[in-house]
Amino acid sequence: MSKNQGWLGWLFASPYLLYAIIFFLLPLVWSLFLSVTDWNLISPTYSFVGIDNYTAALKSQGVQSAFFVTFKFMAVFVPLVIAFSIIVALIVQGLPRFKGLFLIGFFLPYLASGVVSSLIVKGILSYNSPLNEFLRGFGIDINWLGSPFAALFVVALIIAWKFTGYYALILTSGFESISKDVYEAALIDGVTPWQRFWKITFPLLYPALFTVLILSIGVTFGIFTEVYQLTGGGPNFATNTWQMEIFTKAFSNLQAGYASAIAIIASIVTFIAIYIIRKLLELWGKRNGWT
Amino acid sequence: MVGPKKKGLVFRYLFAIVLLLIMIYPYIYMVLNSFADWSQVDKKFFPTEYSLKSWEWLLGGGESVIPRPWINAFFNSFLVSAGSTILMMVSAVMVSYALAKIQFKGRDTVNNVILFQMFFPAIILLIPTFLVIQKVGMYDSYWGMILPKAMSLWAVFMYTNFFKAIPDTFIEAAKLDGASELQIMFKIVLPMSKSITTVIFLFLFMERWTELLWDMLVAKSDNMLTLNVLLSQMFGPYGGYPGPMYAASVLLTLPIIIIFLLFAKKFREGMQFTLK
Repeated sequence: MSKNQGWLGWLFASPYLLYAIIFFLLPLVWSLFLSVTDWNLISPTYSFVGIDNYTAALKSQGVQSAFFVTFKFMAVFVPLVIAFSIIVALIVQGLPRFKGLFLIGFFLPYLASGVVSSLIVKGILSYNSPLNEFLRGFGIDINWLGSPFAALFVVALIIAWKFTGYYALILTSGFESISKDVYEAALIDGVTPWQRFWKITFPLLYPALFTVLILSIGVTFGIFTEVYQLTGGGPNFATNTWQMEIFTKAFSNLQAGYASAIAIIASIVTFIAIYIIRKLLELWGKRNGWT
Repeated sequence: MVGPKKKGLVFRYLFAIVLLLIMIYPYIYMVLNSFADWSQVDKKFFPTEYSLKSWEWLLGGGESVIPRPWINAFFNSFLVSAGSTILMMVSAVMVSYALAKIQFKGRDTVNNVILFQMFFPAIILLIPTFLVIQKVGMYDSYWGMILPKAMSLWAVFMYTNFFKAIPDTFIEAAKLDGASELQIMFKIVLPMSKSITTVIFLFLFMERWTELLWDMLVAKSDNMLTLNVLLSQMFGPYGGYPGPMYAASVLLTLPIIIIFLLFAKKFREGMQFTLK
């Protein structure tokens, strides 16, 4: 290619450069600066407080709960969504025709706004709802959004509902790469379906599964809408995610400086946690000879 | 031999259909309740008495200070989502084309910075980005909602990988015929990228359409709210009117489902490429 294309390349890349300066570098520096001030989002004056915001944040119930709630969400949401999407993918894979049609159907929940799915679930779980009336018939009476674990479970379930079809789509492309010969050879060898899943399907599916695992773990660090709409982070911080904590502190309590410190802590925790989990998953796959 | 196999197949389809119905039941519940008589909303799995009261409430005044707030919010949502998505698509195509097909000094640096930003936790940027928008006077404006979401690094990443797979010989040949870089982009590269463009467009548009946090921060006046924000505010923790709540949810969900189904076939094709 000709050499005098230098300016052309930069011209085409210029939207990103502009964007990166205004909406990445500038906010990044600003955030670091804010985190060492006591600014309240409105007042024209502020003073420097050093690392006070950080020490206060680390001691606060809000930040500590956000740290643990994220991992609790991971422990509930990831197994749920993985199990659901594997089931959906296995079922769709077993259909000789209309595979695409079913995949499109299962994908539809992904289109729901978090606000809409939360409102529907709130209706379904309201005290006099058909579901609760039905459960009370069996003597089961659960205050879904009022008890810590149930609230966390409900939010995880809503998000799992949303992502199941999307992940199933990724997994089916993994299935398509598994050749029929392997299955037929296994059938001849008299392998049980259970063994067949764990010894053949699972290892061959692992690359697609790895993608889904990484994506779903990433999702748990960004939960906001459903929590905001359904629980507000409660009851008693049981669903208080990082985004919820930062939003509340910055825009409800107007502690912009303090919230910036939390945001920086959240970013560091997120980055390190995802890095470690990723490495562990890679190690796990390698040790079992799946990758 | 054929008998039991066929039976198994029927069973499989039945199972798949039942599972699909369970999966989309929340949508069914939403639509039925939006047409249910107000005495039956949230009272039955399948309401038995229906009325148009919820929709009349929604499309009429709907308890607000401005006339027809829901129609107005729908228009806002559409404007913001379309504006954002178009800018994200245009910028992604331009940047990706530069990264994949133009050789220039510093290209690798730009590429690395983009990758770095992609894996950078974005939560840190929320507060200062809000301040940037406030300082330039875009608070409570459409631009304030559109500009911070005018670029998608994910889209850049997807397009770059796709463009790299297009053989250079096509482009060299066009250049010999005297085509400019812009002509090559519009006449050769983009027509080859239809299915991936569909995938990227759908993901970006639906993500923008269902955004809550950012629009909630920027939109202040009653006539600036997007549909998602109005829905969230109107039927928040203490909100009444369960019937209209379902009607409003349908209003928000239906357009995105229609758009998705219109492009569903191309979407499947494109997904197959992106997942390879």
